[in-house]
Amino acid sequence: MSDDRHEPESNDLERRLRAALKPVNPGEGFTAGVMARVAAEPRPARRPRSPAVVSWLAFGLAASVVLAVLLAHEWQVRRIEQGREARRQLIEALRVTDEKLNLAYRVVNSRQDAAPAQHSGA
Amino acid sequence: MKVFFPGWQWLAAPMAALTASVALAAPAAMLSLPDFDALAAKATETVNISLDPALLGLAAGFLDSSNPDDAATKELIAGLKGIYVRNYTFDQDFSYPSAQVDLVRKQLAAPAWQRLVEVNNTKDHTHVQIYVAVDRGVASGLAIIASEPREFTIVNIVGAIDLAKLRRLEGKFGIPKLDLPNGKDGQGK
Amino acid sequence: MSGDGECTGGDLLRRALAGERAAFGALVGTHQRMVFSLALRMLRDRHAAEDLAQEVFLQLYRSLSAVSSEAHLAFWLRKVTVHRAIDRLRREPRLEMAPLEEAQVPAGEAHSRDPILERRLRSLVAQLPPAARAVVLLRYQEDLDPADIARTLRMPVNTVKSHLKRSLAELRERMTSSGALT
Repeated sequence: MSDDRHEPESNDLERRLRAALKPVNPGEGFTAGVMARVAAEPRPARRPRSPAVVSWLAFGLAASVVLAVLLAHEWQVRRIEQGREARRQLIEALRVTDEKLNLAYRVVNSRQDAAPAQHSGA
Repeated sequence: MKVFFPGWQWLAAPMAALTASVALAAPAAMLSLPDFDALAAKATETVNISLDPALLGLAAGFLDSSNPDDAATKELIAGLKGIYVRNYTFDQDFSYPSAQVDLVRKQLAAPAWQRLVEVNNTKDHTHVQIYVAVDRGVASGLAIIASEPREFTIVNIVGAIDLAKLRRLEGKFGIPKLDLPNGKDGQGK
Repeated sequence: MSGDGECTGGDLLRRALAGERAAFGALVGTHQRMVFSLALRMLRDRHAAEDLAQEVFLQLYRSLSAVSSEAHLAFWLRKVTVHRAIDRLRREPRLEMAPLEEAQVPAGEAHSRDPILERRLRSLVAQLPPAARAVVLLRYQEDLDPADIARTLRMPVNTVKSHLKRSLAELRERMTSSGALT
């Protein structure tokens, strides 16, 4: 999450804090719960718009061009954000996988009950 | 007691006994994971990751090939068709409701899956099962079920993952780096 | 991205401001992890955290016209979440006395078991006084610099830096004494 504004992480503890404090998900029904409460609310007031001082024809043309550019930009921004999030989740998934493989190895190493590998399912 | 992790040799032998070579994913390698509502409701932290082929491709596109770590990750996931993780952390020792977990174990009883390792530490109440999906003699998926007193995890990887390559990513991206005995990867302690 | 994959953007905010509830729902989906995580780590209670997080988004819905940009939205959410959490901690002392997980790092494995160490760190952060806890979370969960933390908490920058310095020293000392760090 850090960007160029911040100083580089200077020590191990700070790095581990960032890792330990990664955001986590609320329960599965969280958004639905919020929207259920929102549904009972009156719709928020619309932000007042600035008055236009150009003819409708010129306004429509300019708006179309601007909209196309904005949509393309927004799509690109969204795509980048999606990609970064996918990358972050990939790293997290690999980290958990490695952690649990290490856990199994640690248990094996501790010489507790270890069932031999079997060739016929669970 | 110091613990050393000399690599993945301990898994390589049993995997080699079951498989011949890397292969593309077979549908049987993808588990149908339930919602685990009961676990999520009691968990203080939840990790829920579902990376299908499209998202894996998207993620790969954001890995910088000029960066050695990113390039290694890109290579690791090149043959994968999906990575699915469900991880729940609790603030008290928790007896997991077996019904939902049994739904997963039932799938792993199918002929396509073979249990590679099952380890149980009764002292620490830790139980780990590792399965590999085998299709016509080649590995096509990996599944891990790990039960700890305050953490429960299921990992399902669709496609053949090279565990040695995963091992080389340790110490990077926040993946835990392990103490090793004297050798090419580090100094033992 | 295991859900709908919708991302926040100026487009979503504009649509939400125009009254489109689906767009507001997408904004919730985008920011819920941040809001919930801040609430959880402040209140140390999952149900209280979900309740507070829902209240924050409900307040956002009511005050949406006051949000001027995507960046302002994130700032607003952090500020309201943390302030509400601190207020709640003052009103409900039981939350400060909720049992904590004291994960003990197994001897000899401190350097190789980051997940256990991270759990220990979270537990220690949760034991910090509320103001210091908020500063640490905004710094290391949200990656804000001290000036932004000061704006969020309405606190002098020097006070923020002081909290950070003391909190890190305490965390380091407690982690070192338990063998989790060298």
